[in-house]
Amino acid sequence: MKEALAALTSLLRRLLARRGPALSLAFLALVALAAIFAGLLPLDPLAQSIADSLKPPSAEAWFGTDELGRDILSRVVYGARTSLVTAFGAVLIAALVGIPVGLVAGFYGDWRDSLLMRCIDVLLALPNILFAMALIAVLGRSQGAALIAVGIAGIPGFARIARAQVMALRQLDFVMAVRSFGGGPGYIMLRTLLPNILSPLVVQAIVLASIAILLEAALAFLGVGVPPPTPSWGEMLRTGKSYLYEAPTYAVLPGLVLTLTILSFDTIGRALTAILDRDETNASGATIGGRR
Amino acid sequence: MTKLSRRQFCMTGLALAGAAPLLTLGPASAQQLKGGTLRVAVLSELANFDPQQLSTVNFHVIKNLYDSLIEYTPEGKPQPSLATEWKIAPDKTSVSLTLRDGVTFHSGALFKSDSVLATLQKGADPKRGKNVFSTMSIVKDWSAPDERTVVINFKAPAPERQILDLLQFLIPIEAKGIDTVETVPAGTGPYTLVSRAVGQGLVLKANPKYWREKQPIAQDLVFTVFSEDAAATAALESGAVDIVYNGSSRSAARLKGAGYQVFAGPGPLVQVFRINSTRGPFRNKSFRQAFNYLMDRASILRVGYAGMGKVVALPWAPASPAFDDNYTKTYAYDLEKAKKLIAASGLSADEIKGWKLLVNGSDEPSVAISQIVQGSLQKAGIPIELDMRQGAEYVTALLGGDFAATFGAVGNVQKFPSRVTTNSIYRTSGNPILKDPHPHPDYVAAIAKVDAAAGGEAEVKAAYDNLNRVMVDEAFGVPTNSYDVGLIVASEKVGGITLDIDNLFIARTIGFK
Repeated sequence: MKEALAALTSLLRRLLARRGPALSLAFLALVALAAIFAGLLPLDPLAQSIADSLKPPSAEAWFGTDELGRDILSRVVYGARTSLVTAFGAVLIAALVGIPVGLVAGFYGDWRDSLLMRCIDVLLALPNILFAMALIAVLGRSQGAALIAVGIAGIPGFARIARAQVMALRQLDFVMAVRSFGGGPGYIMLRTLLPNILSPLVVQAIVLASIAILLEAALAFLGVGVPPPTPSWGEMLRTGKSYLYEAPTYAVLPGLVLTLTILSFDTIGRALTAILDRDETNASGATIGGRR
Repeated sequence: MTKLSRRQFCMTGLALAGAAPLLTLGPASAQQLKGGTLRVAVLSELANFDPQQLSTVNFHVIKNLYDSLIEYTPEGKPQPSLATEWKIAPDKTSVSLTLRDGVTFHSGALFKSDSVLATLQKGADPKRGKNVFSTMSIVKDWSAPDERTVVINFKAPAPERQILDLLQFLIPIEAKGIDTVETVPAGTGPYTLVSRAVGQGLVLKANPKYWREKQPIAQDLVFTVFSEDAAATAALESGAVDIVYNGSSRSAARLKGAGYQVFAGPGPLVQVFRINSTRGPFRNKSFRQAFNYLMDRASILRVGYAGMGKVVALPWAPASPAFDDNYTKTYAYDLEKAKKLIAASGLSADEIKGWKLLVNGSDEPSVAISQIVQGSLQKAGIPIELDMRQGAEYVTALLGGDFAATFGAVGNVQKFPSRVTTNSIYRTSGNPILKDPHPHPDYVAAIAKVDAAAGGEAEVKAAYDNLNRVMVDEAFGVPTNSYDVGLIVASEKVGGITLDIDNLFIARTIGFK
């Protein structure tokens, strides 16, 4: 536990040493804090004031107001909750299903691999957005449905990465050693292999989080996301585009927050990949399996 | 008496407003209009060419491919068209029509009484009559004493306005083309079909044998289908099209400010908060009546329709003979009155909540106005959720009555009042939402009284007043506002726009300045 914490602290320190990832982390922290503590702020995303509709940004309403006179900043802050909950939930679903599938397929490499990978291929063959829309049509329009749809769409990514990593590791000495000491398949997969493939999976989780936020916004933009009046960045973009002439900031500001959030996740994901790749190279150069 | 004067005043105002663009042109200017290719952007792909399947998706083609027996001026005055004369029998049980001579169909065949008989036959057929079928309910039979005369007999004495509405709604189709009319137009209209590219548009050309003198002005008429309102308006602003037809009120309001010509016809739709009075708390009359006061109509009109329209508490356009503006004032948004009615209903706080408001998710105005109502209900202590459904899923729920409440527009609100029963929520029998037997017998009786009021002005007015009173009392449909359908936004280089009573697009008088 201490080792993991130390590794995480080290990783964080190395991320913060770079300007791009540091700024991205700071922005995401701000968004996350605003989303978590939105209830403590003097913001009401549902309060209508038709007389004040489509007002430009001002001291009273920093992001202006929407067509129903609601404060856009409030809706952006509460919309972050929608986006982050969807991202977190989708990553959780994708990881909980995808990683075990990849572990089993990669570890055994027999008919189980073929069967599981064909199922994953079927999922991969379906365009994410179409699949999500079909699922929402069945489950109904809600945040839960959007979250499940995005989560299922993310399963193949985790499964394929886990499988590829396990296939590369399963014949290495440290795994053979565990096996020779009587380690069963379950033990080897969960206690021996999984800790050693976590790095790419963490990167995948971050990448999927950004995809999930974008997909949730896309679904809302297409009119099948979280139903109004629940604030959602995609829904704000969808409605705001109709008022581009009268109130350009209505669509632009939520769009900017959405873009920055995706960009931040992406920047962190890339930085992590670079750092972990460098570690991998260093480790390989020293002794094979040295980190293990 | 006072009410009639006000109505007359409103209709005169409307007529002047509608005719203003034409009046400013004047006869000399109309003659100066030049022909050419008129390019029109539309927001919907037409369903088919059958004029008896009239809906907003084919509003842009029907009056360009066909003519009706008679026309209405924008203020509702009947005018000859394919019928040059119509004589209503003194006992109002029949009407005799004299058909125009020298008119030919697009095929070259002569327009005669046989085509009117075939059209009546189709309209009276429950399977083929489509929209016309309900209007034909008053018709007993018909005959053609000769090639230029048709006599239509009614089951009972029919009010004059109802007879005229029937004639205006009847669009003669060539007898031999009646079975293929969905795919091949078979009319006498000012334009003939050249080509159609499904999903993209259609091209029409001037009918060289058209009977109206010096019409159509433009030789070619090109409709382009746009899926996005913004794309259509951008095409107009860039000069790629000359007219946008049936675009959004919001775009029209913006373009009007930018100097474009905007024309709104006299046949708007009325947005109605439809209540399924067979469900839950809506069985309670007091609870339903509270919704008369829970509609923030001014906000709904402003947010949903850019203020283009009129707040109303009854499902009538100003051109309707039953229009009465007093109800709008009486039933203005008033939370306190609504709360009193909710309290008077005797329903508990738990009983009045928990239902969902069905929303057409494909329609931006519906989404916005539903949220306004949701906010008003919240203030009145009725928390509800929105049930967003898209496209066909919404229409199925709407027409199948699978909802507690929803917004849905009604048409035919400028015609004879009982024509409102062509809309599902207002049907008196076979109502898909309220089912049979109709749960509001007073409403059914009020409609029957209007249909039977073939006597003097006082009798007719009493029947209309009674219907209006019953409608707000039963409150299963709560109108909020009229709004324009078939809005025409034109560049300044085109002139001669003619307004149709049903807001259909009439291209024959349009030319280039």
